[in-house]
Amino acid sequence: MIEVRNLEKHYTVAEKEAGLAGSLKSFFKRQIRVVKAVDGVSFQIATGEMVGFLGANGAGKTTTLKMLSGLLHPSAGEARVAGFVPFERQSNFLKTITLIMGQKQQLIWDLPALDSFLVNQAIYEIPDAEYKATMQEFTDLLDLQDVLKKQVRKLSLGERMKCELAAALLHKPKVLFLDEPTIGLDVNMQVRIREFIAAYNQKFAATVILTSHYMADVTALCKRIIVVDKGRIIFDGDLAALLETTSPSKIMKLQLERLVPRADLERYASILQLEGLNVEFSVPRAEVSVKAAKLLAELPVADITIEDPPIEEIIGQLFTQARAEVNV
Amino acid sequence: MTRYWRLISIFMGASLSAQLEYRVNFVINLVETILRVLGSLLGLIILLGENKSLGGWSFHEAAVVLGVFTLFDGLIGLALAPNLNRIAEGVRTGTMDFTLLKPIDSQFLVSFRNINLLRLPDVLLGLGIIVWAVLQSPILPNLGNLSLGILLLLCAYSIVYGIWFMLSTTAFWFVRVENITELFMGFYRAGQFPVSVFPGWVRTLFTFVIPIAFITTIPAQALTGKLEQNSLWIALGFAALLLFLSRWFWRFALRSYTSASS
Repeated sequence: MIEVRNLEKHYTVAEKEAGLAGSLKSFFKRQIRVVKAVDGVSFQIATGEMVGFLGANGAGKTTTLKMLSGLLHPSAGEARVAGFVPFERQSNFLKTITLIMGQKQQLIWDLPALDSFLVNQAIYEIPDAEYKATMQEFTDLLDLQDVLKKQVRKLSLGERMKCELAAALLHKPKVLFLDEPTIGLDVNMQVRIREFIAAYNQKFAATVILTSHYMADVTALCKRIIVVDKGRIIFDGDLAALLETTSPSKIMKLQLERLVPRADLERYASILQLEGLNVEFSVPRAEVSVKAAKLLAELPVADITIEDPPIEEIIGQLFTQARAEVNV
Repeated sequence: MTRYWRLISIFMGASLSAQLEYRVNFVINLVETILRVLGSLLGLIILLGENKSLGGWSFHEAAVVLGVFTLFDGLIGLALAPNLNRIAEGVRTGTMDFTLLKPIDSQFLVSFRNINLLRLPDVLLGLGIIVWAVLQSPILPNLGNLSLGILLLLCAYSIVYGIWFMLSTTAFWFVRVENITELFMGFYRAGQFPVSVFPGWVRTLFTFVIPIAFITTIPAQALTGKLEQNSLWIALGFAALLLFLSRWFWRFALRSYTSASS
């Protein structure tokens, strides 16, 4: 569905020193610098796949999405989305995709969301019957009944985001580019939005690329992730595989029935944390089942959970690794 | 084509209801419009009260020029400014992204998305002045002059649109361009007089460099039967050229669009 080969985007940016003197200087003579926002990126995404795009601010995620949606002209390389060259922005291409940006809005600020939907219906040439059916479906899925007739400016951030989603998906696009769709939302709302995206993906076999700062978004929705740093891909593959390669150990959390001396516990595995009855062990992945059996047999265990280390940490490790390699 | 007309009517509806959402503001705007129109009328009465000629134009002929000027002043406020001034805003805030991703001609979308109906009275006033002034002239225009006049008014609108559109599109590079459109309005204000009142070099400037003459003077000439044959072809040429240029310029601008980062 999406094919990208050696995609690059270079910007020239004007730089200015701080303060009025700097402003004056740059008014007369702009300092220009070339920034490689995206620097040779290649990947393929199959139909129906949901892929998480991870990376720090300024890593090139948004720029890549904008090139794929046809907003930016690549400096070099090739991209194909649903068989189209994005930048040509052919009408049929634009009807196949959608771009949702958590920080920008397309709804008409002074009117109820319903008015914006009607405008989009006309622009995308959606027949009335289909429009009604889709609206009904979205209203149920996103719980929009009470929201649709309120002025957009009076909606809460979460309500507005739900309407943005509905407006952007009204034409049932096959490819979704979601740029931080849950930014600034509370946890409940994040879950709602996630569920909706998952449902949409299931129902229409839509291909989704998602960028987010909330790891939970990515772990909940995407099996595959692409990690970018400074415009380059430093990891592309299965989320589970990433966990295995970068983090060779799992975290085993135990709740004990009675206190056990620290020295006794240390014989089983290295302790991450010990607080009264709660112990956290770090256990090598390969030994997890053996160790768990042993612990259960020999210690007074009330409860046991086995977890992966927080994904944030793993991604952090990935960045340090990638940067160390560059510096060598 | 019908799709585009349908879209225009939907846009107009949405735009008007957005203005109606703020009732106090709407009423104040309405009062302001009435006062402005009354003010313009007063100015006209003073200007046209004395029966003097202006640059070889009798006073009612000059009044036609003023009528066309008022008409276009209104049309700019009604249909052009509310749309084209937002191009810069869209570029600055990045909402232009959504405009460009719609499966419809983006130039159409940025040009017809909004309307400011509060400027309609200005348009009607302009039309009223034209009708009144034409009826004052000793020889009433025949059907040929009338249709020529309408054709030239359409050319004039295309010219105004083309110029204003290109000036607004420079926002893709300069981001803030309010002053550029103000500059055009400064020149445009000279269009309330027949170009023949100006000295030779200014006349050339307003005819061929900034074609103000084709916006007000020449349609007025047609309506009063004073049109020279050549002017028609030049006006048509200018209109076609500017429409074509605006199209080309828009595409050119889009290529260098960098989109505000999020």
